[in-house]
Parts: sequence; structure tokens; C-alpha cells
Amino acid sequence: MKRVFVILAVLFIGLVLFAGCTENQAAVGSPQKLKIGVVASMTGPASTTGKDVWQSAVLAADEINAAGGVYVKELGKNVTIELVQGDDESTREGGQKAVSKLITQDNVDLLVGGFSSAVVSAHESTVADYSVPYIVSGASSPIITHRTDVKTDTVFHHAPTTDDSGGQTTLFIDDTIRPAINAKFGFPSDRPLRLSVIYQDSPYGKGQLDAIKKTIAASNLSINVISEDAFKMGESDFRTVLTSVKNADPDVVYVAAFLNEQTALVTQARRDVGLDKIFIAVECNDDPDYYSGIGRYGEYSIIQSRFSPYAVPSGPIEQSVNKFMSDFDKKWGGFPGMMGAATYEAVYIGANAVEDAGSLNKTRVNEAIGGTTMPQMVEAMKNETISFTPDFRESKFDLYMEQLIWNETAKETRPVIVWPAKLKETDFVIPDWFKPGQE
Amino acid sequence: MTGGLDIVLQVGIWGLYAGCIYILLAIGLNLIFGVMKVVNFAHGEFLMLGAYVTFTFYAISGFNPYVLLVASVPILILIGVTIERLCFRPILGTGKLNEIFISIGLIYLIQNAAAVIWTDEYRIIHSPFESITISVFGVNLPLDYLIIIITTILILIGLYLFLRKTRLGKAMRATSQNRKGAMLMGINVEKMDMISFGIGAGLAGAAGTLWVVSGQVFTPYMGSIPAVKAFAIIIIGGLGSIPGAIVGGIILGLAENFAIFTIGGAWKDAISFLILIVVLIFKPTGLFGESAE
Repeated sequence: MKRVFVILAVLFIGLVLFAGCTENQAAVGSPQKLKIGVVASMTGPASTTGKDVWQSAVLAADEINAAGGVYVKELGKNVTIELVQGDDESTREGGQKAVSKLITQDNVDLLVGGFSSAVVSAHESTVADYSVPYIVSGASSPIITHRTDVKTDTVFHHAPTTDDSGGQTTLFIDDTIRPAINAKFGFPSDRPLRLSVIYQDSPYGKGQLDAIKKTIAASNLSINVISEDAFKMGESDFRTVLTSVKNADPDVVYVAAFLNEQTALVTQARRDVGLDKIFIAVECNDDPDYYSGIGRYGEYSIIQSRFSPYAVPSGPIEQSVNKFMSDFDKKWGGFPGMMGAATYEAVYIGANAVEDAGSLNKTRVNEAIGGTTMPQMVEAMKNETISFTPDFRESKFDLYMEQLIWNETAKETRPVIVWPAKLKETDFVIPDWFKPGQE
Repeated sequence: MTGGLDIVLQVGIWGLYAGCIYILLAIGLNLIFGVMKVVNFAHGEFLMLGAYVTFTFYAISGFNPYVLLVASVPILILIGVTIERLCFRPILGTGKLNEIFISIGLIYLIQNAAAVIWTDEYRIIHSPFESITISVFGVNLPLDYLIIIITTILILIGLYLFLRKTRLGKAMRATSQNRKGAMLMGINVEKMDMISFGIGAGLAGAAGTLWVVSGQVFTPYMGSIPAVKAFAIIIIGGLGSIPGAIVGGIILGLAENFAIFTIGGAWKDAISFLILIVVLIFKPTGLFGESAE
């Protein structure tokens, strides 16, 4: 009996000591890394973009780690970046689960990524509860940092908002397309442009429509919005909407749609409805799949962009864009998308902020992100600098407009930059088949 | 296009085209429900598989995608028969809840399997006739839509002849009308279950092919909404009624497209269910419910 007691006592003491040792080891060993949670749609309908976001984040982390990591003054040493994937499953609920796990179980120091305004909005309250710095590089509705029902002071928006993209495109229409049509067809120079808007019935689509109207009103532009047609997210049959637009007879059709919708819409417009108008696509469509999917039907249409697979703006970012695309291709094969590009930058912004803060303390990192002043990287930024506005923590992009021109070698259209003047490669062209709208 | 009548005609054609897809889906659902009394929520996934089978064979062979109906329909029949045999037969008669959860589970399984096989990037293919338009009552329409409407009519005629003129078809109808009676008359009702499920899946496969050739994009997740519409159609037309599914499909296709044209695209789905509610209030058995086959 006594021997059994002794054995049990020794075992007990051994277990206690062992437990103590591991706890001690953990205390000594942490924190050794900068843990960045990447919120990406790895599964579900948005998984193409999600994979791009994740792969671009990995590329950035690998580059930073290969260069020695991130210096944290408080620790007196460099730490490496460890990325943790949070799959939002392309749904609000999936996003809530993923972000909750990243924060409470994986104990990430900051978050990057976040596709879809609806998905990001749904998990912002969790981010607010734990005050985790979050650089959103996907969602585009300004509501992300403007909302008042949830604290968003740790959320930074590193993607053009619908206000920015809709506004700049409307300025381009007034500045370039309207004068070109009026000149070509001998119209008075003050003839208002007839604009139809087809938009996704979502915060994203409605945000684009609002931005168009606000810009027209604010700048007193000579553009008449003659029709507004909404469609349900994920729609694939646009024939009747397009028939309605044809009946309105615009000069230009502005489409606020995602890639799968945009491809079907323009194809059906040109092929089935015979809508011989200039089509405008928003920036998220500048993707290789768009060019292969749309074929000839995309010829002479306009696409807004900030990071294109086939058109690199000449100037200060040209070299870094080419390097990023080449490195991405070597590592993953294929082209990165613009949300990938923004996420790539977001990892660098996060790493830079940690160095500036000299700490992994979330409050200090948050302050450092707010004070970011970094040279632009692979996307053209206003003043060639990545920084966040003090009011709504938004970075400001220099968007450009591309026109799609048929490329006989590729057997697809390819974009050429036609606006703004400082980036443009060639002039905007009105195709011979174009028919201007009539009253 | 010159005036209001032309536009109405064009919207009507788009409505008929949408109706064709809905009819093929809804008739398949009705066949399965009529014979087995099973509600298969995963029916839209057969549409999606039909689209991908067409896409795959098109990519491999370069054949005219219409010809690929001869691949998509038999393959979907085979898939339907396999699913009936492995998933539904073991639980038949064990309670509606089991059938519902099996079919919901199948939605996720089939979607995920498709995403693994074909990736979840959207796809689109172009019909060889896409540049050809014809004039119908003064309205220029792509030839593809005429082919799609005629193909659907031919499939429906074939199905009618099968159900009315063949012994197998008559046995299926007998099973649909009175399962026990059919059994007592020596009909192998389990075989009828298998065949009806297979034909239902095959019709959805045909709808998938026609979806693809019309230039619509497709992804592994495309099937859910059309399936919901097909359910609405069979309730509007009357559970188990094939004429009801045809009339319901045309009504829904036209109503949706005229709703988009008049009150906006955001109402497209709502109008389907508005019609459903109205029909259920005035005729709870559906338009053709009393003469269910």
C-alpha cells in the first residue's frame, strides 16, 4: 500500500513539474512571431478571389521573412510573419466563425483581407470587441469604416470605395467619352451624355449608383442618367434588363457587377439584344477570366482598373508591378488579381506598422497603421503614397480607365490605358458600330 | 426594334426561353414526386451537372454543344439512377424528414464534388450559332433561342409519347396513380422509382445543356435558385401534373421577365412567389392539381 502511495505521489509530483515546465517554456517562447490573420473566401462562390488574396498574402510574408522578418524594438529582435488562414466560406456566418477563431484561438496580432462588404460588416463587431487592427483589402462599400452602430476605429480600408470608383469613372465619362461622341456625330458640345446604369441590387451596386449621381450633381456634369436597372446578385440572365436599356437608348451603359455577372451581361447585350453601346465595367472585373470569357463582345468596352493583368501603367510603379506579377507567377502560376495586390500591400502595411510601433501591442499597432506613410507599391496611389485618411481611415487610389482592343495573337481583347492623361497609352476610340442614343 | 409591340415580343421570347429551362426542371421534379412521392431538393444540382458535362465534352471534343445533349442526358440518367439506388431507396417510406435531409445533404456533396472536379470559377461557352440571328415577327432574335425552344418542345413530345404509348411509360403512370395497385398488378415499382428518378435527372441534364448553349455562365452553385423556381412551378401547376409543370413554367418565365421589364430586376424572384401565393389562395391544389397524373 505504502509503495503504491509513493508511486502515485511521485507520478503526481512528476506531472505537476512537467506541467510547470511546459507553461514556463511557453512563457519563455512567446511571442516569437507576428501572426497575421488572412480573412479570405477559400470556399464558396468567391473562392477564386479568396485564393488570390491568400496567395498574395503568402507571397508578401515570404518576401518579408526572407529579408529577415519584422524588427520589433520592444523584443529587441526580428520576428517572422506567420499567416493564419480564415476561410469566410463566402458567407456572413462563415466570416464570423473565421474571424472569431482567428482572434480568440489563433491569437492573431492583426487581420488583413475581407472580401464583400456584407461579409466584412457581419464580422466587424467581433473585431471591435477585441480591438484587433484590421486592414480590409477586398470589400468596397464605404460603410465598412463609416458605420456608427459598431466601433470601426481599428478597421482600415485599403481598397477603393464605391464612392471613389464610381466618382472617378463618372468624371472620365464626362471628360473623355461625352466630348468624343459629340465630336464624332456632330452634336453640340453641350449635348448631355445619355447614361444607363445597370447595378447589382446590393450595397456595392447601390453604392456605385449613388456615387455616379453624387458626382454628376457635385461637379454639375452634363450627364443624364436615363435609366437605372437593378438585378439580383448572382443573376445570369440579363436579356430583359438589357431590352429595357435598349428601349431607353443610351450612349453609355455603366454596369456595376461582379465578374461572373459582367461577362454574361456584356455577352448577352451585344449578342442577344444587339445593344451597340459603350459598356463600362467596374474595377473588380479586370481579371484574365474576363478577357477569356467575354471574347470579341468586349471589344471597345471600358474597364476601370487599379491593377490589371495585362496593362501596367508606365511610371514609378511599373517595375514593382512587373516584379510582383512575375514572382506571383513563379510561386503560384497565373496572374494575381487586384484584391490580391491590395492584400499583398496590406501585409506590408501591417509589417511596417509593427516596426513603427516597435511592439506587437494592438493599440500601438493600430495607431501606427493610422499614421502610415509608405511609398506606393504595386497599385497607383494618390500622391504616390499609401496613407489612411484621418476621418474614415481610407487609402486613396489613382484609378485608371482601360479600353479593350482586340489582340489577334492572344485571340482575346487586351486593355490599353486611355485615362487619366498622366497614365494614358492611347486615346479613347469610338467603334464604327457604335450608335449614339436618341431622345 | 421599332416600337412597344416589338419590345413586348422580345421580352416574351426571353420569358419563353426561361420557361423552357424551368419546364424541363419542373417536369423532372414532378415525375420523381409523382412516382416516388419524394421531394428532391438537390434537383437543381442535376442542372448544374448537365451544364458541366456539356462543358467538359465540348472542351474535349469541340462538338456542337447541342449535339452534346446525347452525352449530358444519358450521363445524368445514370447519375440519377445511382443516386436513387444508393441514397433514396434505402430511406423510402421512413419519413419525409429523412428524404429532406438526404436531398439537402446531396446539394452540398454534389456542389463540393463539382468544385473539386471543375473548380468553382465561373465558366461560359459560346454556341457555334451565336452570330446568327433570325427575324421573328420583325424582331431579330439569335437562332439559339429558337433552337432551344424547339428542342424543349421535341423533348416534351418525346416524353409524352414515352408516357402514353410505351408499356414502361404506362407502368410509370400507373405507379404514380396508385402505387399499391400497380404493385398488385405485377409492376416492379422499385424499377419505376429508379427509371423516374433517372428520367427526371436526365431532363435536368438537358436543361443544363440548353443553359450552357444560351451563353449563361455557370458555377457549381448555380442550381439552387432554378430548383427553387421549379418547386414553385410544380406547386403552381399542381403536384404531379406534367401539363401543370408546362403551363406553370411558361407562366413563371413570362411573369419574371415582364416583372423585370416593368418594375425592375430586383422583383424577379419575388414575382414567382407572388404568383405561387395567389394560386394557392384561389386553387390550393394548383392549376392542374385535380387532374394530376
